[in-house]
Amino acid sequence: MESIKHFINIISAPYVMFPLILAVFFFIFPPTDRLLAIHKKLRLYKLWTNGGGIALFSSLIIIFAFGLTDSNFRRIVTKPDNVPIAGLIFLVVFFLWWSMKQAWENDERMAQGQGPREAEDAKEKVLVWPDLVYIELIALILCTVLLIVWSIFLKAPLEEPANPTVSPNPSKAPWYFLGLQEMLVYFDPWIAGVLFPTVIIIGMMAIPFLDTNEKGCGYYSFRERKMAVSIFMFFWLVLWVFLILVGTFLRGPNWNFFGPFEPWDISKLEALTNVNLSEIIYMIWLKQRLPQNIFLREIWGFLLIFFYFGAAPLLLAKTFLKNLYARLGSLRYSLFTFLLLMAVSLPIKMILRWVFNIKYIVAIPEFFFNI
Amino acid sequence: MNPQERHYNINKLNVIFAASSVLLLAALVWLFVDDYSRGWKDYQKEFRALEIQKTRLKHSQTLSKLQAQEEYQSLGKVLEAARKDFAANCNSKELGKETAQQGAENDLLNQDYKFTKAGYDAARYRYESAAAHHPEDAGRAKEEFDRLDKKIQELRLAVERSNQAMKDREERSKACGAKLKELERQERVLAKDSRILETKLAKIDPHQMNLANRMADVVRDSPIIDFANPNYKIEQIVLADMREDLNFIDVPRVERCVTCHLGITNPDYKDSPQPFTTHPDLELFLGNESPHPLEEFGCTVCHGGRGRGTDFTSAAHTPSSEKQGEGWKEKYNWHELTHWDRPMSSRPYIQSGCFKCHSGQMVIPGAEKLNLGINLIEKAGCYNCHFIEQYKNWPKPGPDLTKLASKISKEWAYRWIDNPHAFRPDTWMPAFFNQSNTSDPQSVRRNQQEIHAIVHYLFNQGGEFALERMPSAGDPKRGEEIAASVGCLGCHQVTPPEEDQPTTRTLLRRLHGPNLSGIGNKTSSEWIYSWLKDPPQYHPETRMPNLRLSDGEAADVAAYLSGLKNSVYENVSVPALDEKVIDEVVLTFLSKSGTLQQAQAKLLSMSLDEKLDFSGLRLIRHYGCFSCHNIKGFEKDKPIGTELTFEGSKTPHQLDFGFIPIDHSAPAWFAQKLRDPRIFDKGRVKPHDEKLRMPNFKFTDEEVEAIVTVVLGLVKDGPPSKIVPRTMRNLFLEEGQKMVRLYNCQGCHILEAEGGAIQPTVKEWLIRYENRSANEAEAVVPSFSPPNLVGEGKKVQPKWLFDFVHEPVTIRPWLKVRMPRYKFTTTQLNTLVKYFSAQDNQEFPFAEKTDTALSREERQAAEKLFSKDYFDCAKCHIIGDKLPEGSPENWAPNFALAKERLKPQWVMDWIKNPQELLPGTKMPAYFDPTSLDTSGPDDILNGDEHEQIRVLRNYLMTLTDSYGTPVADAPASLPQTPASASF
Repeated sequence: MESIKHFINIISAPYVMFPLILAVFFFIFPPTDRLLAIHKKLRLYKLWTNGGGIALFSSLIIIFAFGLTDSNFRRIVTKPDNVPIAGLIFLVVFFLWWSMKQAWENDERMAQGQGPREAEDAKEKVLVWPDLVYIELIALILCTVLLIVWSIFLKAPLEEPANPTVSPNPSKAPWYFLGLQEMLVYFDPWIAGVLFPTVIIIGMMAIPFLDTNEKGCGYYSFRERKMAVSIFMFFWLVLWVFLILVGTFLRGPNWNFFGPFEPWDISKLEALTNVNLSEIIYMIWLKQRLPQNIFLREIWGFLLIFFYFGAAPLLLAKTFLKNLYARLGSLRYSLFTFLLLMAVSLPIKMILRWVFNIKYIVAIPEFFFNI
Repeated sequence: MNPQERHYNINKLNVIFAASSVLLLAALVWLFVDDYSRGWKDYQKEFRALEIQKTRLKHSQTLSKLQAQEEYQSLGKVLEAARKDFAANCNSKELGKETAQQGAENDLLNQDYKFTKAGYDAARYRYESAAAHHPEDAGRAKEEFDRLDKKIQELRLAVERSNQAMKDREERSKACGAKLKELERQERVLAKDSRILETKLAKIDPHQMNLANRMADVVRDSPIIDFANPNYKIEQIVLADMREDLNFIDVPRVERCVTCHLGITNPDYKDSPQPFTTHPDLELFLGNESPHPLEEFGCTVCHGGRGRGTDFTSAAHTPSSEKQGEGWKEKYNWHELTHWDRPMSSRPYIQSGCFKCHSGQMVIPGAEKLNLGINLIEKAGCYNCHFIEQYKNWPKPGPDLTKLASKISKEWAYRWIDNPHAFRPDTWMPAFFNQSNTSDPQSVRRNQQEIHAIVHYLFNQGGEFALERMPSAGDPKRGEEIAASVGCLGCHQVTPPEEDQPTTRTLLRRLHGPNLSGIGNKTSSEWIYSWLKDPPQYHPETRMPNLRLSDGEAADVAAYLSGLKNSVYENVSVPALDEKVIDEVVLTFLSKSGTLQQAQAKLLSMSLDEKLDFSGLRLIRHYGCFSCHNIKGFEKDKPIGTELTFEGSKTPHQLDFGFIPIDHSAPAWFAQKLRDPRIFDKGRVKPHDEKLRMPNFKFTDEEVEAIVTVVLGLVKDGPPSKIVPRTMRNLFLEEGQKMVRLYNCQGCHILEAEGGAIQPTVKEWLIRYENRSANEAEAVVPSFSPPNLVGEGKKVQPKWLFDFVHEPVTIRPWLKVRMPRYKFTTTQLNTLVKYFSAQDNQEFPFAEKTDTALSREERQAAEKLFSKDYFDCAKCHIIGDKLPEGSPENWAPNFALAKERLKPQWVMDWIKNPQELLPGTKMPAYFDPTSLDTSGPDDILNGDEHEQIRVLRNYLMTLTDSYGTPVADAPASLPQTPASASF
């Protein structure tokens, strides 16, 4: 029992869990034909059948049931603040499974030359009143019942009067911002708190203009929009939901990482040995002192950034993303790659941090400019 | 509509809709029930049942008691007869009919008058108006007006007559019923208590209510309607001037505790179960007459906790022990309210609440544990390392170490620092070494050398203390007797402490000075002699007074004390100096102010002496020895410990619990820290100089509890409006109490009904040296002990007191115990004088102006009263050099001092009733205070007692040393202090 808990504690550390998810993710949501072939070979699509759903849910339930035997896990999960997040896990998994199931069924139908299931629905005429309004009313009533019963069982989680001299430890953002807060571990506030949220909003606004694929409108489908769905799933599931879960359940005092079965020890210390890119290059590789000149010191970081955002799209356009470039045209392509690279920089930075202890690519604390 | 067009089966949806609606209804009902059912309502219902039961019982008891009263019974009979009489004569049927008829006629007449008056007023207006504007109509209007005027005159007469007739009738009836009314009043007075209870029962007991009230009683508590005026409601006290600090805002305290603690101010619930139990001390707390009425102070100011909470957990109750906590969990589903920073004080520390407002006072009557804690803090000198605002400018408790070399040997100093408790188990010197975080071999080795360095430094300060030669070797036996009789034992003990002695404040007074058993092994008889002769010579700030011993006496006492041996240290070997370890120590300190390399270079250049000097200095600073002792070179150092002024406001997360598995609460942390100050280092890996260094005072558990009580009381949020006012009188008292504590006045005297710690030793002395039996000694102990100072401010003149404390003179020559001479400054002397005046609410500095002149006749009368034939004052009282006959325990103070010493008013009060001023005094009462005017001799001054007392007082004020030839206005000269002057 203890060893299982210990094992779970270890694999749930972000630097283990995240690469694991990365490794598995693109087989489950394959963006390319080649990965799709592997996906099929591994029969991962079975997940999107009834049996797969039962398996998914029963494993979730087993994990929770097992976890609740542990006092630490119980304390964290049953905290009135955290109960909705525990519910979120089940809801996200359910709707994911349900939509993917329908997408997969439609894909099968279309492979056999039939139209998607929704095409049949469209022939049927459904009235707003009473059909839609009635079930909406019923849903409303049931939701109210749920909220009432919930409020009876879980009292409002009030805390002590706010004290300017005592900050709660850990200080957590509201649950929907925990993903952003997690980003703060890897980026300077101006990037994690200002730049990224802005780019996320602009990026989402840009989606209709970037996505010219007309297929998959009005019905669930995966194969027709492999790339789009898998990119979306990656950002939604991994960079948003997963980070919220990490922030809620696995970040404890001093924003230290704690496994789900690990007590939150306020005095836990982790060695902080992060270095900047310039220090790696000059001190470790070249065995030199850091140059006095800021620009000279950070030139490598700037070059890297320049390469990442400037040269990489060009190179990709000539190689991997040749087709995409042809389809989108240069303006759309450059916008798309910029947004994509921006978004991908988060997991890249995370991995750089864990593997190389890299703190900043460009570090100019003199001007509060760190990337 | 064609049903086929529908996507869903409408009937099925209807069923689902119906089901979910029912579900919603059920949820709403549940919501109401959940909201309506509150724990406190159950308590209130329970309390109401209890109240009904108690009131019924009380009612039936009062009623039967009342009915058993003869007076009541006879009154009842008389009353019945009177009622019959009233009904027959004053209230008969015919009479009633007549009255009714007359009343009706009268009413009608009155109405007629009123209406006519209205018509008359209107007619007057019409007439006036017509006369002004339409003279042609004035004639008619005048006619009308005149007619009405006449009519109203007639009516008025009739009405007045009728009213008078009515009034007469009423008067007659009243006179007729006067007797009955008086009897009824008497009955009401007798049955008052029972009536009150009856009324109360009618309010709370459904069985005593009529149907309508009973229905209302149920309905008023039903949901929703209960907003109006329910039986069961949250009771609260809002304290507008007691604020609760919520960081961004302060709000008035709201105390809802009384919602469940319903019997808290009612003495009838003394034996009821919680939460209804009466407060254990209504005289001091909560009662309307008490100094802390509930309406003004509430509950949480003293108890802590969350006043707004209305259930067991949300009120932040704190269990007294883990076991109780477990019980609560089971019984009340209790859990610690972690989100409230000020939980209730648990029972052991309850008195900490007093300190919030009374922190200026040194003694808080009734708060024994807190007082003990304060005393312990003073004795142990906590405030020396930990700054505490209340103890600003208090003296250092430890002896001066600048001239140490003259007193003890280096070896003895080593052993003492190493383990003081081995030599003197009750010493206040704490143990710095061999503690839980320094008992590993490496630390022990290092500590040994550290002690060497400290000793080296202490012996190298160059302070000189020339030892005086003793005039003779001294007689230890005589010395023992002197030590037992002159008062040494008020502060010192000469025997090792008893095991398991409970710590009390009386005991602490006897531990004021060091325990002297074993002093012979510590220092030489010459040193003791020199010290006794003039303590400030060795330690300028010492609180040890000069007992005014003659050279011979001092030599005897020195011989006796140096014979008190304790050989514990003889067997303790002092480890050799180890330069290698010393180097380590030196290096630690050197590297703090420079690089390691510089430190090593510096070390190489130092000689062993320099190393010892350097490390000694730094170690004394590190351990804070200078906080309690005067040591050369540390005059400007600041205290090394955490400031404790607001320590009680600390929340648990401000305290480092390390790896110690104790309850994460501030009281638990403080208690653990005091039991073992180094405990929180357990399991930590730390370099030697970063280890915790608070020394171990070896406090017992009860001492720890008392000290923690004080620490928890050191808080920021005392309510400003309730803090004991800083009036002049209170300041005088506080300052005086501080001195009384510092100089241990209560070691000898009884002050504020406390003290006299020396008395048991006086008793022993009486048995041992005066050959008294134990019972006899017990009886006469007060006569041979230092005087009780109750009422001293009222009794003596401030000027005399000032002079006396400065330079004591003999008042009671029969006493062996001596008032010592302190080296008080003028300020200190004034502080004491002001303190005594404030004690007794005396005017200060000039108390009264009294004419003490005597006429010839008055003098003769006074002399008569004074003589053997009457009061025989000289039988007990000393007058100048003339000692009374009889055994010394019956002697009384010297009259020759009265003029300078006593306040004239006091002397009169004293003669009138000595027992009132000093209960238990052996001064006989010559007058009966209950019937003063008849108690004195009748043949003097026409038997006027007041005059007798006055002339006697005036006469006493004329007595001088040369008694026998008193001169009325001869100035009484102060006797010169003889070498062996005593009290």
